[in-house]
Amino acid sequence: MSREWTIKFVLLAAVAAIIVMAGFQLYNHRHYRTSIVTGPGVTKVVKLSDYSEGLKGTMADTNVFFLEGKEEGGTVLILANTHANEPAALLSALILLENAVVDKGTLIIIPQFNNSAGRNTRPGDGYPLYFEIPTDWGSKKFRMGNRDASPLDQWPDPDVYVHYPEKQLLSFLDVRNTNRTWPGRKNGPLMERVTYGAMQIMREEKVDIAVDIHGAETMFPVTNCIVAPDKSMRIAIMTSLTVKSRERFDNHVESSPSGFRGLSHREIGDYSDTMPFLLEAPLPFLDQPTGPKTVDLLLDGKDPFLLSLSKKRKLFVPYDETGWPMEKRVGQHCSVTLELIRQFSRKYPERTITIRNVPRYAEVVKNGVGYYYHDPAKTDKKNVYIN
Amino acid sequence: MYLQIGIILAVMVLVYALAKWRKLSIEISMLSAAVAGGIAGAFPGTPPVSQLARHLVEGAFTYLDVILVFSTATIFMAIVSESGGVNYVVRGTIKYFYNVRIIALMLLMIIILIPGALTGAGSVSLLVVGAPVALALGYLGIKKRRVAAILFIVAGLSAAAPPVNIWAMILSAGTAIPYVGFELPLGIPVLVLGTFTILSLGWRRERKMPLDTVLKEMPEVPAGMSWWRVLLPFLAFFGLVIACRLLPFSFPILGLPLEFVVAALVAWLVSPIRIKILSLSRDTMKRLLPLLATIVVVGMLQQIMTATGVRGMLSFAVISTPLILLFISLAVIIPVSEGVLTYGGAAIIGIPLIWYLDSIGLHATVAIAGLSLLWPLGDGLPPTALIGRLSVMVSEYKDSYWTFLRSTWLPWLVITIVGILMVVFSARLEFLVRWSI
Repeated sequence: MSREWTIKFVLLAAVAAIIVMAGFQLYNHRHYRTSIVTGPGVTKVVKLSDYSEGLKGTMADTNVFFLEGKEEGGTVLILANTHANEPAALLSALILLENAVVDKGTLIIIPQFNNSAGRNTRPGDGYPLYFEIPTDWGSKKFRMGNRDASPLDQWPDPDVYVHYPEKQLLSFLDVRNTNRTWPGRKNGPLMERVTYGAMQIMREEKVDIAVDIHGAETMFPVTNCIVAPDKSMRIAIMTSLTVKSRERFDNHVESSPSGFRGLSHREIGDYSDTMPFLLEAPLPFLDQPTGPKTVDLLLDGKDPFLLSLSKKRKLFVPYDETGWPMEKRVGQHCSVTLELIRQFSRKYPERTITIRNVPRYAEVVKNGVGYYYHDPAKTDKKNVYIN
Repeated sequence: MYLQIGIILAVMVLVYALAKWRKLSIEISMLSAAVAGGIAGAFPGTPPVSQLARHLVEGAFTYLDVILVFSTATIFMAIVSESGGVNYVVRGTIKYFYNVRIIALMLLMIIILIPGALTGAGSVSLLVVGAPVALALGYLGIKKRRVAAILFIVAGLSAAAPPVNIWAMILSAGTAIPYVGFELPLGIPVLVLGTFTILSLGWRRERKMPLDTVLKEMPEVPAGMSWWRVLLPFLAFFGLVIACRLLPFSFPILGLPLEFVVAALVAWLVSPIRIKILSLSRDTMKRLLPLLATIVVVGMLQQIMTATGVRGMLSFAVISTPLILLFISLAVIIPVSEGVLTYGGAAIIGIPLIWYLDSIGLHATVAIAGLSLLWPLGDGLPPTALIGRLSVMVSEYKDSYWTFLRSTWLPWLVITIVGILMVVFSARLEFLVRWSI
């Protein structure tokens, strides 16, 4: 064999080894299953495909958890992992799912709303594949997902995404983004079927308020806030003022732009009787000018570049050496969600929703997020949902 | 952190320079830089060494969709060319407009603008209509160097033209600004700058031959070739693109690659001569391989730069620049970011930049439109130089790449000035957005 062929053969073998190794890791990530422990409040678990038949048998189908109170009242829907690279949403939803007890009304939680995106990675952006939350019984491991659904589940993309039904032109990528495909269609692309399923839940279960939980860059003006359309504005403002005065954290209110289509805070309000709210907590990991995209950055939100930019007043949130730890973000989401429900119940007493046993901001910051998760190994198997 | 990332960046630059010094190709040099950066980053665990292979492979898929479009569009155009369609179009253009130069030039400019405007990719313009337009410009007495320059600038403008502008779409998606109101802020400058480019570079006739001689010199057209045989494949392609746009809720999503495949099959079926489609496709892919390899490696480089923090540090450097200096440096930063990262530059630098400009009272939509004019210029810059290399390829210009690039200086300068002024005065130009909606 000539020297040239030997080099070619060695390089080919090296490339093959790298591909096999990487392929194995990526396959494992897509098929890694997270244990979700249902708490004492969960009364029923169904699939999203029960409301949107087109999801049956697809990776986009996901669990829908019902927590029904003994007394009748209003209904609230919580959506998390709409963007699966904003993990504070999932972590907050799981705290509610594992701990909440509903006395009056109904709480519906979809913790892995864009299930396909949760099994996707983000080529070019160097994300870690997993992150772990420390708990009293060890650590709980989660997949780090992507903003958009996996092309393995929905492909090809159009050259430009035409929003249904408003016909606004959006980026081709947004056809896989479940915060651009609202209100969705029964037989549309897969992600439109996902949002259609949620819209059907809202219509059939007479959902009063929907809370879509997110995270956003510190350099993004719409961060650390509640986004609400006109119909939800009063409750959003009252919530913002109350958490500021009682719990000492800022969470301002942003108005949902009427000309920007496909977003949950716009379309849910326009195409159903439900009042939508979108929560944003700062997520430094998503900012562009940061150091390496590590699990530490994801969890503690500490970054020297952002600190320097903060001193130059180029961030939209307060930022210091403590960063924006996960506890703060999850704590905010828990408190704001509970306060939205409380304010709604005050305004519409006949549709009151009463929830207890959910920690608020100060408790989550003090105890940590993992404190509220239960060990699936020590839980009755019928109460553990693996996805 | 600064020192750690600085060392990793230095390793990457050094390895790239060494590879180029050893006369390795651009693709191999960039791959070497990516691998070296990854290994250097693995020492402090950014990324962990166990994840290095995964980052390289995952990054390689960053621009898979672009690769599919390139491949299918080039095969489509190769079939049209092999069937004699290209020669037929060139002959027709010369025959009817040879003596009405301004109309011929404007017509050729619009022909280049359309495919890129519809798909958001200047490369598609070059792959679909680049070769026949280059021939036509050549017969109009324009030197090959200037032909390549015209193709490069106008194809770049076609990518920025509405309705589909990928940079604006990436920025709109990343900054939560609706992708609406871009028609006039993009359409007007693209048409004005396109006209300026084709007239400034193409008005001078280097040589003039009698029309009869030109027609005699031109390659023969196969017997049986006709306008409908040329037009049908293009009608199939644009028909599918337009159908997706006009009937978005009833027409299936095909995607650009499949639309090109359908058009290629139509071109093959209506060809007056028999074409060996498999061997032609194989040869075309061989020709395209260096370009595809560049795109694959750019994705890997981007992923490693992000995982190591190099990308973040570069983004930080841009955002930290004082405002006046920032405006001036846009002339360099934006094209260079495109040259290194292609569309990745819009995400890395563009998104934080737009947030920053928005926060100081500038109009985000107009500012995005202004920046969109600058990004295509970077497609002529190494290491990627995607559009530049394609322009040289389709125009069959054989001389030095830098000589070609130098000949674009005048439209390059004017486009840069217009783009930066649009950013600086974006608030005053807000009416263009209002008039578009």
